[in-house]
Amino acid sequence: MVASNTSAPSTAPARARPRWAARRQQIGAAYAAPAAVIVGVFFLVPLVLVLWMSLHDWPLIGEPAFNLPANYAAIGRNPLFADAVAFTLKYTVIVTIVLFGSAFGLALGVQHHRRGVGLFRTAFFLPGAVGFATASLLFYGLLSRDLGPVNPILQALGILHRPVSWVGGSANLALGSSIGLVVWRFAGFNMLILLNGLQAIPDDLYEAARIDGAGRWQQFTAITLPLMRSTIALVLIVMITGSLLAFDQFYILTNGGPDNSTTSIVMVIVREAFTRFDLGSAAAVSVVVLAALIALNVLQLQILRRGDRHGDS
Amino acid sequence: MTRGVMSNRLARGSYYTTMTALAILFLFPLVWAGWASVKPTPGSGQPVGYGLGNFVKLMHYGQGLPTYLFNSIVIATLTVTGTVVVSTLGGYAFARFRFPGRDLLFLAILAILMVPYPTLLIPLYVLLGWLDLQNSLVGLALVLMMFQLPFATFIMRNSFEAIPRELDEAAMVDGATSFQVLTHILLHGVRAGLVTVGLFAFLASWSDFVVPLILISSADRFPLPVAVVNMQQNVFGSIDYAVLEAGVVVLAVPCILLFLILQRGYVRGFMSGSLRG
Amino acid sequence: MSTIWSRMRCVNALVVGCAALTVTLGLGLGCKSKPSAPSGNADDGTTITMWTRAATEAQSKLLADAYNASHKNKVELTVVPTDNYAQKIATAAGGKALPDLFAADVIFAPNYTSKHLFLDITARIDALPFKDALAPAHIKLGTYQGKKYAIPHTIDLSVIFWNKELYTKAGLDPEKGPTTLKELAEHARKIQALGGDINGTTEAGNCGGCGVFTFWPSVWAAGGDVMNADGTVATLDSKPVKDVLGIWRQLYADGVAQPGSKEEQGPTWVGRFQSGKVGVAPMPSTTLAMMDGAGLKVGVIPISGPDGGQSTFVGGDVLGISATSTKVEAAWNFMAWSLSDAAQVEVLAKHKDLIARTDLAENKYSAADPRVVISLKVLAQGKTPYALNFNQTFNDPQGPWLATLRGALFGPDLDQALTEGNAKVTASLAQK
Repeated sequence: MVASNTSAPSTAPARARPRWAARRQQIGAAYAAPAAVIVGVFFLVPLVLVLWMSLHDWPLIGEPAFNLPANYAAIGRNPLFADAVAFTLKYTVIVTIVLFGSAFGLALGVQHHRRGVGLFRTAFFLPGAVGFATASLLFYGLLSRDLGPVNPILQALGILHRPVSWVGGSANLALGSSIGLVVWRFAGFNMLILLNGLQAIPDDLYEAARIDGAGRWQQFTAITLPLMRSTIALVLIVMITGSLLAFDQFYILTNGGPDNSTTSIVMVIVREAFTRFDLGSAAAVSVVVLAALIALNVLQLQILRRGDRHGDS
Repeated sequence: MTRGVMSNRLARGSYYTTMTALAILFLFPLVWAGWASVKPTPGSGQPVGYGLGNFVKLMHYGQGLPTYLFNSIVIATLTVTGTVVVSTLGGYAFARFRFPGRDLLFLAILAILMVPYPTLLIPLYVLLGWLDLQNSLVGLALVLMMFQLPFATFIMRNSFEAIPRELDEAAMVDGATSFQVLTHILLHGVRAGLVTVGLFAFLASWSDFVVPLILISSADRFPLPVAVVNMQQNVFGSIDYAVLEAGVVVLAVPCILLFLILQRGYVRGFMSGSLRG
Repeated sequence: MSTIWSRMRCVNALVVGCAALTVTLGLGLGCKSKPSAPSGNADDGTTITMWTRAATEAQSKLLADAYNASHKNKVELTVVPTDNYAQKIATAAGGKALPDLFAADVIFAPNYTSKHLFLDITARIDALPFKDALAPAHIKLGTYQGKKYAIPHTIDLSVIFWNKELYTKAGLDPEKGPTTLKELAEHARKIQALGGDINGTTEAGNCGGCGVFTFWPSVWAAGGDVMNADGTVATLDSKPVKDVLGIWRQLYADGVAQPGSKEEQGPTWVGRFQSGKVGVAPMPSTTLAMMDGAGLKVGVIPISGPDGGQSTFVGGDVLGISATSTKVEAAWNFMAWSLSDAAQVEVLAKHKDLIARTDLAENKYSAADPRVVISLKVLAQGKTPYALNFNQTFNDPQGPWLATLRGALFGPDLDQALTEGNAKVTASLAQK
């Protein structure tokens, strides 16, 4: 591990140290300032307003009326909420495993420079070019039992004996279809991030390991995984958070069905806000979701960082 | 010896078979969309015979394809430039400096990922009104940039951390300022990160339609995806699939070209010597 | 003025800090808009902004273009994807940036009138010489607590389409569509017997709004109803509902309805009939031109009850002036013009669209296509049900109606599904 000591270089005289460190703090803050301004203005200010809305009966037009804790109390009575939380958690566990596995597999497959690898990378990444809402509609058409091409092709290949109702046949098929869509759309995206991490590992480490007689699997667990820790942290945070906030794949592909079996938390929020026009209630659910996600991610970051704490600043 | 060559060939053969099969699987929906956009579909812009009828329909819809394309390009350019600059400076700060509020700021940036965006759009819209940025491409780009920041800052921080500190420390001892260290020494080393951040910012701003739809209200300022979604929708949720498929092709082609060009940013080995991923 | 003021407050608040900020934001948003004073000339070159949803874009665009060509005022039309329309309206209302005019799906109109998004235009509507001839269902749904907020903008009806070619192949008379729902089932069974990839009929079995649009008219034709007049109590466990859904249930169970009917959420619903592989089904009347364009020979007949009668679901859009508009006179100028003889006959009827005035039903264009006349005649027998919570109860996929409908069509027990569903639908209708 590289020593990540941010204090003055050892050559600096001892008494100049505090002033130099203070100066360096200011420089650091200056570099972070643009990001801080964007986050402050375009994220924290609206976020405070969301909090504020959650304390009120908030009409589309007209005076908001303070009603704490009505919006929060209503969450418990929402007939969809408990099921949506359970489903969202289940979906997140499954999709994270499947998506992470496929993305890592693809990244390992395309990490070395050889003939055709650029085409493979492009092929895996290309679905990311299609907007997610459009991709969801495209899949709805492809998977349609009566009109789509997927059933006839699978039948012709002898994989299926009769057509399957992918999107709405059963709760499990609907979930499976959504996961298929998400893997198709996002595996390449995550593959690229992981590829970035893989390529930052120097060849000589593997070389040395090979000389020491380490096999492929040993190289993977002793070199690749530990050195990819912060990349994996990024991928997992984006993946888990994204799955907990999943929306389009259910809103468009499955409509939350069949029979509410794929209704996610964000669908409940959107229903409160734009079907029932109860903005205060939608804001309250959002605040609860945000609090849960921040807690989860702080925990996750700490677990992932514990391993390399000793070398970190 | 011969056995070694044999197994090598076998391995290569199975590698290419697997990867090709996977590539076909990933490309199938897009290839299907491409084919379906030109095939004859009753009731579509291409009712009989193969041809570009659906694309012609797309070309002349609403304000016309050139207007939407122009808006999309402006939004993407602003978003990509802004994201790359802000996340590079921010990533540098997080990787190399300690300053008050550092961890809090990082958490605040990450928290952007954690807010259900449909709710956040309402106050954002109000805020843009205060800043006189409602219905403006600049305001839209700033918001899209904000949504890109968590990912971009994280990736840039990781990229900077992957470069050994000895490099900048040596340069500082030689009297270089921190900005000179960034531009002359480190920027080259984080090239792959820059490409990734830029590419993802491009894709997000290029394909998103909900954020522009909510923040923009004049038809002549809509980007392409909003126009495509509008075109494909019929009564009672029925969808004009031929136009949808043509839209998929028009949105995907620039991305194919861009990605093939950017492949060079991913060439292996330019960061050897670094230790962290 | 108020924009600058609230912006200044915002800047102050940013300086003062978070606590002050929240208060200021609340105040900034809570500002009331002042009603605008009427200007002298209503057609003085004002630019009016107008939003409509993608589904009925064609008609709005025809009207806006024709108005712009003949007036000094200019209507700037922005089309919003149908699924995101409510989100766009809600966000704009929160930001005090609604357009001058916006259209709304007639069935959602109570959502907007009850939230005071539209301006009260009772006096203006009542002053129209043809006020009694305006499509009654649209006017009714645009009225809230005795005040009128919206006028009819576009009209769409549910009717039965039948595929004449498949009728001929199955030995049925291609010129005679089904006059009762039972007859429809009979025809569908004969067409199903053709085999291959041909199906007798199709249902959109996972789309609440489609079920409302296609099944309810049969209930009305049989003299029944799905809820009371106030839209507060459901009557889904009544005999007419059971009879109608029972017929559709049997058609699916016997494989006469396309097997994918059970999962159809809407996107490929019209495409199913358009593919030419379906014999007979209820469809939106506005898709007739599309079916013609697809080269299908389509017959049109009103939706009937199990043993006869006729009815239809009158859908489409209403149009109103937003509560925050500052260009009320110009906006009304466009609205009043859109209902005039010139607009109704020479713009809408000429393009085979249904018109919003019953007194103009017989015009020189409607006579040209007998199928349009059929639609126009049934318009008078049609209904648009009123319920304040219509959208969240019946259209929303997470609403109780879709679950009830699916239970009735595909579940183990029709009676039980309707009895249990009726309670849930009533609860949702009563929700505040």
